[in-house]
Amino acid sequence: MSGTESTSKSNQEVASEFASYYLQRITKEFAEDLDKMRSADDFRNEAMQVLVGALQQGISMFSPEDQRRVVESAATGKTQ
Amino acid sequence: MGKRPPHGQEAGGTARKRQKVVHEAPTHEEIHTSRQLMQLLSFDLHQDVVRARHGLQSLKVFLDALLGPDCDQADRLAILKEYLQFAGPEGQFQTEGDESQVYLSDIMQTWSHASTNGIETVMSAVPVVLALLLRLLSQSLDLVPFGLGICRTLLQKRQLELISRNLSAEKSKTFVISPTLRMLTEAISFDGGAIAKPLFRARASTFKLLSRNMLIVHIGEEAEDEKRPSARTTAVLFFLSALKFLHPVAKKELLSQRDVVAALTREIKNDPAHLTLSMLNGLRDNIMLDDKVPREAKANMFNTSTLVRISSLYQARQSASDDSMAASIPDVAHAFLTTACTNPSCGVLRQDSGLYPRDVDPNAAIPDAELDELGLEAIVWMNKFKAEVPVRNFTLLNLLQNLRPWASIKQNELAISIFRVAPELVANYFINTKSFTFEPKLSATWMGYAAFLFNTVSLPIPDHFCRGASFPQLPPPTSLVLDNILPLPMNQKVMVRSLTNKSNLLSFFATRLLVVAIEKLDTAVRMHQDPSHANIALWGEAARRLVDEFCQRSPGIKDVINSYRSIPEQDILHREAASRLLRLCYEVIPQVALMAKFDVSPLLEIALGRLAKQELEDPRDFALSLKELENLLAIAGYSPGMRWFSALEGLTLSPFTLLLKVCVDAPRGVSLDEMRQVLNSVAVEQQLVPASTGHPRLLPLLETLQGLNQKKAGSVAHIWSFLDNCLTRCATTPIKYLESMQDLIKEATEGSNKDAVGSVISPLVVTILEQMPFVVSATDPEVLGVLGRFLPKFFGLLVTAGESKPLLDVIYSKISQLYKDAPAKLSQKRISDKLVFQHNSWPPAGSIAARPSNGQATGGEGKTLETDINGEGLRRILEVADGLAADNSALVKWANKTVDELIDEGYAISLVTLLASEHASIRKEALVNILKMAAKIRQSEYEEKEQVWLLLSEVAETARDHIEADPLPSPAVAFACHALGVVRDPLSSLYPKVNQFLARGPVWSLDRLPIVDEVLLEEPEVGDSFYTQLNWLLQYLVDGLRTPRDLELFHKRRARGPVLERLLSLASNPYMRLPLHTQVLRILYRATGIEGGSTTLTTRFGVVNWLEAQEKLCAGSAKGGDDERLGRIYRALRTRVWRTCDRERVGVWSKGGIADLRGEAESKLDGEDVVMG
Repeated sequence: MSGTESTSKSNQEVASEFASYYLQRITKEFAEDLDKMRSADDFRNEAMQVLVGALQQGISMFSPEDQRRVVESAATGKTQ
Repeated sequence: MGKRPPHGQEAGGTARKRQKVVHEAPTHEEIHTSRQLMQLLSFDLHQDVVRARHGLQSLKVFLDALLGPDCDQADRLAILKEYLQFAGPEGQFQTEGDESQVYLSDIMQTWSHASTNGIETVMSAVPVVLALLLRLLSQSLDLVPFGLGICRTLLQKRQLELISRNLSAEKSKTFVISPTLRMLTEAISFDGGAIAKPLFRARASTFKLLSRNMLIVHIGEEAEDEKRPSARTTAVLFFLSALKFLHPVAKKELLSQRDVVAALTREIKNDPAHLTLSMLNGLRDNIMLDDKVPREAKANMFNTSTLVRISSLYQARQSASDDSMAASIPDVAHAFLTTACTNPSCGVLRQDSGLYPRDVDPNAAIPDAELDELGLEAIVWMNKFKAEVPVRNFTLLNLLQNLRPWASIKQNELAISIFRVAPELVANYFINTKSFTFEPKLSATWMGYAAFLFNTVSLPIPDHFCRGASFPQLPPPTSLVLDNILPLPMNQKVMVRSLTNKSNLLSFFATRLLVVAIEKLDTAVRMHQDPSHANIALWGEAARRLVDEFCQRSPGIKDVINSYRSIPEQDILHREAASRLLRLCYEVIPQVALMAKFDVSPLLEIALGRLAKQELEDPRDFALSLKELENLLAIAGYSPGMRWFSALEGLTLSPFTLLLKVCVDAPRGVSLDEMRQVLNSVAVEQQLVPASTGHPRLLPLLETLQGLNQKKAGSVAHIWSFLDNCLTRCATTPIKYLESMQDLIKEATEGSNKDAVGSVISPLVVTILEQMPFVVSATDPEVLGVLGRFLPKFFGLLVTAGESKPLLDVIYSKISQLYKDAPAKLSQKRISDKLVFQHNSWPPAGSIAARPSNGQATGGEGKTLETDINGEGLRRILEVADGLAADNSALVKWANKTVDELIDEGYAISLVTLLASEHASIRKEALVNILKMAAKIRQSEYEEKEQVWLLLSEVAETARDHIEADPLPSPAVAFACHALGVVRDPLSSLYPKVNQFLARGPVWSLDRLPIVDEVLLEEPEVGDSFYTQLNWLLQYLVDGLRTPRDLELFHKRRARGPVLERLLSLASNPYMRLPLHTQVLRILYRATGIEGGSTTLTTRFGVVNWLEAQEKLCAGSAKGGDDERLGRIYRALRTRVWRTCDRERVGVWSKGGIADLRGEAESKLDGEDVVMG
């Protein structure tokens, strides 16, 4: 349960921060391939939305606990 | 022949063209009195058209003004009211109550006259003014009676004919049709639909040619003007008004008119935005969500073509994004379709039976004998649905096939929500969507496919496969379950290509897909293994078949491993996914994973090395990398041959020390629990720390190192090499240090006259003591300095952890002495004179040592048990399906198979198991077939043909003289079956042993259990594979224990003791992992199920006491940990032994001791059985 400590983030905050980290990470890791895909012939209309949706799907593979672990490591890591 | 002159030159050339009818605009005058109005509108049989139009137009302008925004309307309204009174039945001296009372009789007569004479301008003008009038009258309560009167007038026969004639005007006469429809729209909605019912009753006139009129669309390049709607728009609005005000029965009647329903949506793609939105909202509110409309009527409306046409709105007006109304259409259509397709009350969705196809009875009664003999083959429909799956939801299926879920997020969502509510469609959809290829390509389409497949695979399996309250009698068709886990486009070829694609993105997506697929497979298998099944063997067979077919369709483990190895080191997200996939392979399909001979050590060391180097700047990246590491550690846990204490080339530290280093160096806040658990369990296994209950294992070491690091960053770096050396030495020669410890204990006892016997300290400390002189002689001041700070603190923590202080004092004083004797140049490096005590509230050792129960063990072991295990729970954990169950069809099945199939797909094994059949004829036939098969294999090109032939020939020779009278003993059959897997794989660690056994002679001794001694006593020969070989042996022994005759072989006296006794002593090894322990317990469980088995176990092997002793060893361990869990299994097994033994005999044998022992525990478990039952 979140919120037991005043410093801990709500589940929603964790989910949104993790989502943004995940997307940032994925676009960094596959930058080259993503560029190639954007120049593909069939990349039009809704393709960008579909692509972002597809990239985001991986977020659901991380449990809320794992997401919190990653997100909160940043917070504590920075304060060191 | 001369040229035809151009039209212009021809006299009267215009006469050849259709004359354009130009309606001159009618004149009008301003109305000042009601009398003026009366005069203007009065009917005269001889009046001319111009006058009639003048009157009507004057009224129109007058009404327009009344409906306009001008506030001061009271005078005009008074004029109108006066006129209506004059023009009403009273004013015309008609009798009140007469049904034929005519309102506005002059206007009606004018209309009739015009209609008779075909004066279209007037035919149009009358409905125009009537529509305006009705709209105006509906706004004022005291004028409503006039409006109702006019409406009723319209329903009279004469007027109905006029309406009918107007509506059936030529298609080009929209100026006649549209006003009439508008007038009807006003009429049907007047006063809350007061006359809707009679108006619909007169539908032959009022709804005349509605479908045709709905198709008279706006023509022209510019968009339809909202103020000048087309006939279609007006007709659709009339239809929608009718839906709003009609009674449900009338709606049903209206919706049964197929032409109207079809025409309604035929042009939807080109309709103006406001009309589309009105239509969708109207259909939703007045049909879809109207509970009173019968389901049948809804189904008529929302048929395939309606839904498909509405789905075409997903692409609507992408160009008109500036129009907010148009831009919202795809969203509204999506919400509409989602509700229509997923809400069962909308008339589209039909209840299916989950993964059981239509027309299949999952509870069909099949005779037990048939099921026992034929297994799944006894179910006629089991293999029927590979190419075609009958479904109930045709409409939805057709809609799905018209969607493009790969090109649009919303269509993807719709398709997935349909699959969620109608899981029967998944298999059918992919079978019938042949064009759906998933060949890897860096394109938007492939990415869209991948996203769609990901969502499909992520869908949950329906409860009990059928969405019922309990599991049916028969399992669902395997092909259907598999199609839901790995949809057809995800075939092996495509997935291998994607996984090993040079584009990392494609490989990443394929990896993610396989991760969710294996997780789903795990769930499906667990559902098959649910203990509530009526026929556990049958469901078990279905589960095995499912796993087999999954393995055939999914990429091989080698591809998974190769893909993982090729991922660039910095791609941590990708590496995490790939390591998770590999871990899942080990957990869910270990039979495939273990075939790969995959050595996890190099990958583990790379991951450890990367983390230890601290190259990742972002702590979140570090936490993500730890996930990969955890997965690799889990895999290492499944590989008995993991080399924890030997450093690979290029690395200075062993994997164990690297892991320790990662934990020490990890940024604060990163959770390390899983890694600490691994460290602790390896430390206990390798005897680095005491195994006693309550000891915090490696925590003192970890805390000391972390403390040093915090005080002075990087100081620990100086002693890693020293620690690694000590840890490695201690792990490789534990006995040496245990013996040294005994010497130290003696020394401590002598020195202080205190009794230090039974004192406990970590053997690692002894190793440190042994290695200290070398550090001192190496004269590295930095190392000595750090150790000088490290050792007192570490030893202090060990004392607070419960280790013997006298003993640690002795060791510490020896080390202090070394410091004092150090060369002069090191003299400034000192060590504290005293141990530094720290008080920590460590959690009990068990909670640290306990491994997570994430499927570490096989089968149903992953589940944490909260309370004592009852009989059913024990059965779930320890019962193994009969691996030698006879399948008589094996006699004929093998004949047409290739040699590869015979060996790899189990046909040979099935045939060999028949040697244990209870029917002599089957056994004899099996023998003949085995010999034939052996010959066929020997003549083939199969690589290991000689070894396989030898094995089959030997088992046949062994059986030849015995099977006439009795089945071949199960251990021999089980050995042959399991040995087949070994001889076909020269890389197996058992290959030398099995071949040596086969080479000894053509006939096996049926009095012995083959190669037990070789595995238990001899060197493993191939690396550190003892536990791997032991696992194989135990598996074959479980399969080989089925009858009282088999049990005799297990308890027969032999030179090195009965096999059962040796297995019990093997299981006493506290360092043996839980899966191997469980295998031994499975053998015991099997024995308790054999007649006289429990009695023999008790009286010959004292198994009750043995179980009790084992249970006590596990007592006090942390809740939820392996040990605690094992303790409860021991207790439950003890109860089972007692329940299944000959109590009288055992009571006499133990002189009542065992009965006393059982009392308390059994009464407790009995109670639970009742509750659970």
